[in-house]
Amino acid sequence: MADVSIRNVTKRFGDTTAVSDLSIDIADGEFIVLLGPTGAGKTTTLRLIAGLEAPDAGRLSIAGRDVTKAPPAARDVAFVFQQYSLYPHLSVYDNLAFPLRSPIRPMAKAAIDAKVRTIAAMLKIEDKLANKATKLSGGQMQRVAIGRALVRDPAIYLMDEPLSSLDAKLRADLRLELKRIQAELGATILYVTHDQTEAMTMASRIGVIDRGRLVQIGTPREIYENPFNAYVAQRLGQPAINLVDAGLFPDLAIPQRTATLGLRTEHVAIARVGGAARGEGRGLVRRVEHLGDQNHIHVELDGTPLVLLADADSDIGAGDRVDVRPERPLFFDREGARL
Amino acid sequence: MNDTSTVRRLATRAAEATPPPVVARVGGLGDRAIAWLFIAPTIVLLLAINIFPLIWTIYLSFTNFRANRPNAAVEWLGTRWYTSILTDPDIWAAMQVTARFVVATIVIQTVLGFLLAVLIDKKFRGHGFWTTLILLPMMLSPAVVGNFWTFLFQPQIGLFNYAVSFVTGLPPSSFQMLGDVSLAPWAIAIVDTWMWTPYVMLICLAGLRSIPDYIYEAAEVDRASKWRQFWSITLPMALPFIMLAVLFRGIENFKMFDMVNLLTGGGPGSTTEVASISLKREAFEKWRTGYSSAFAIILFVTVFGLANIYVKALNRVKQR
Repeated sequence: MADVSIRNVTKRFGDTTAVSDLSIDIADGEFIVLLGPTGAGKTTTLRLIAGLEAPDAGRLSIAGRDVTKAPPAARDVAFVFQQYSLYPHLSVYDNLAFPLRSPIRPMAKAAIDAKVRTIAAMLKIEDKLANKATKLSGGQMQRVAIGRALVRDPAIYLMDEPLSSLDAKLRADLRLELKRIQAELGATILYVTHDQTEAMTMASRIGVIDRGRLVQIGTPREIYENPFNAYVAQRLGQPAINLVDAGLFPDLAIPQRTATLGLRTEHVAIARVGGAARGEGRGLVRRVEHLGDQNHIHVELDGTPLVLLADADSDIGAGDRVDVRPERPLFFDREGARL
Repeated sequence: MNDTSTVRRLATRAAEATPPPVVARVGGLGDRAIAWLFIAPTIVLLLAINIFPLIWTIYLSFTNFRANRPNAAVEWLGTRWYTSILTDPDIWAAMQVTARFVVATIVIQTVLGFLLAVLIDKKFRGHGFWTTLILLPMMLSPAVVGNFWTFLFQPQIGLFNYAVSFVTGLPPSSFQMLGDVSLAPWAIAIVDTWMWTPYVMLICLAGLRSIPDYIYEAAEVDRASKWRQFWSITLPMALPFIMLAVLFRGIENFKMFDMVNLLTGGGPGSTTEVASISLKREAFEKWRTGYSSAFAIILFVTVFGLANIYVKALNRVKQR
C-alpha cells in the first residue's frame, strides 16, 4: 500500500478531452470514490493510473516513484475491469491464481493455494473454483474479477464499477464486504461508480467528476452538505435535489445574485393546509410514492414540480393542497456556483 | 357463464381479425409440403451428384467392372479387392508417402502460418498491403502454380535453383528438385507450403482477432510478461482456430492430387506417389474400375474416420 499522486493529468482522444488537468492525492489506506455520469472520464482516470493509457500531460507517482511512463506491470496496481476481463479459457481457480504466478515475484504453490481459497471464501465463490470462468453468472464473474485483484497486495486497487452487474441484494452485501476488506487490509482503493449509494457508503472521500474535470473532492458529508456547485448537489441525494427558480419563494431571504435554489427533499417542511380547508395552500400534491420507510411526495408549486420527503406515517395524499416551506436552502448563481 | 361467453366472443373476433396463413391461399398445400417443395431441388441435386455416385462406387468396389469395357459381363467378387488392397505393399507405400506428406506440410504450414498471423496482427503501417500480398498465392489456380514452379525448379534456368546456389554456393544445376529421389517430396511440400500457408495464416488471424484487447490489458496489469501472455492467453485462445486450420489442411492434403500430378506425376520412381496418384493410375490408366472403387472407399473411410476423431478432439478443446 502506498500514496498515489496524480498531478495535472490530461488525456485527449482525438478531439475529445477525456481527462482535463486532473489532480488528486490519494493517501495510504484511503478509499476514494470517483463519482460521475457515463463519459465523465472516470474510467480513463483509472486506466491512466494503471498505465493502460499514457497521459498527454501531467505526472503520476505511486509510493513517491514517478510512474508516468512506466508499463502497467511496473506500477504495482490491481485493476477490476467493468467488463470482468476474465481469462475465458481458464478455471476460476486459475483466474484467481494468475496474478500470483507472476515470475516477477515468485510465490510458493501452497501459498498461492491458500491465498486463492481465502479470497474465494471471502467472495463466496469457493464452490465455483473448478468451473470455467465463462460458465458463471454475471454476478459470479464479477466476484471472480474482484477476487483476482484482491489476491494481490498492490500499491492501489483500481475498481471500475465492480458492482454494476450484481443484483441489489448482492450489491449491498458486497458493498459492506468490500468496505470491511478494505479496512482489514488497510488497502488503498480508487473506485469508480455512478451509483451515489456506493459512493456515500464506502468512500472516505468522494471525488465528483464532470467532463474530465474534478469538480469537488471531500468526505461524503462535505460533498452532500456543502456542494461546490449545483452539479455536485445533483449528484448526491435520492431523490435528487430540487433545483428551482430563486423567485419561487418570495418570502425567503436570499443572497444577491441567487438564480437557483437547491432544496434537498428532506430540507423542506410540508404541511397539509388546515384540516378540511382543502383548496387553500399553494402546493398541489400530484402523486405519492410509498417506499415503506418513507414517502416521496410529488408537489406542484405554481407550475414547478418538486419532490419532497415525508414520514412513512404521513397521511398526505394525491389531490391535497399543501404548504411548502424551505428549511435549509442552498443558493446558486446563474452559472450554478454555490453562493 | 357471462365470462365464458365473453371469452368466446373475443376468441371469435380474434380469429376473424387474423389473416389466413399464406399457405392456405396456395392451392391447399400445408406448411410441410411447401417446405419440401423448397428443399427438394437441392436434395435431388445432392442425391444425384453425391449420394448416388457414392453408393454406386460402393457397389462397383465389389465387382470386376471396367469402365473401358462397359459391355463386359460384371462379376460379383465380394471383398476380394479390399483384401488385396489392404495387403498390397505398394498401396501401403503410397499411404506412407501420403501420411509423411500430410504431416510434414501441416507442421510446416501451421507453424509458419501462425507466426505470420502473429506478425500481421501487430497493427503496423501498411499491414493491409502485406496481408493482401501474403494471400496472393492462395488465390492462384493450382494449375498455374504447378506450371510456374516446374519452371522455377528447372536446374539450368530455374530461379529457385539459382537462389539456393546464391545462398549455399552450390552450382545451380548440381541438383534437381523434381528429379532427385530425396528432393522431390520436398519440392512438392515447398510448393504446397508456399500456396497454402496464407490460408492457415488467415484462419489463425481470425483466431487472434477474436481475443479481446481487454484480456491483454488484464494480463498487463497482472504483471504477465509478453512471453507469458503469448503462452497463457494467445496460444490457448487461438488453439481452436489453429486446430481448425490443421483439419482443413489435413483433409485437403490427404487427397492432394493436382500439385503432385503437375510437378512430378508421382515420380521419380514412386517417391511422390501419394494415394490419389495411385488411385488415378488404377482407375484411368489401368482401367481397374472395381479395384479403384474399393481403394477410393478405403481412402474415404480413412479420411472420414480420422476427421471425426479429430473433430471430437477439437470440440473438447473448444469447450475447455
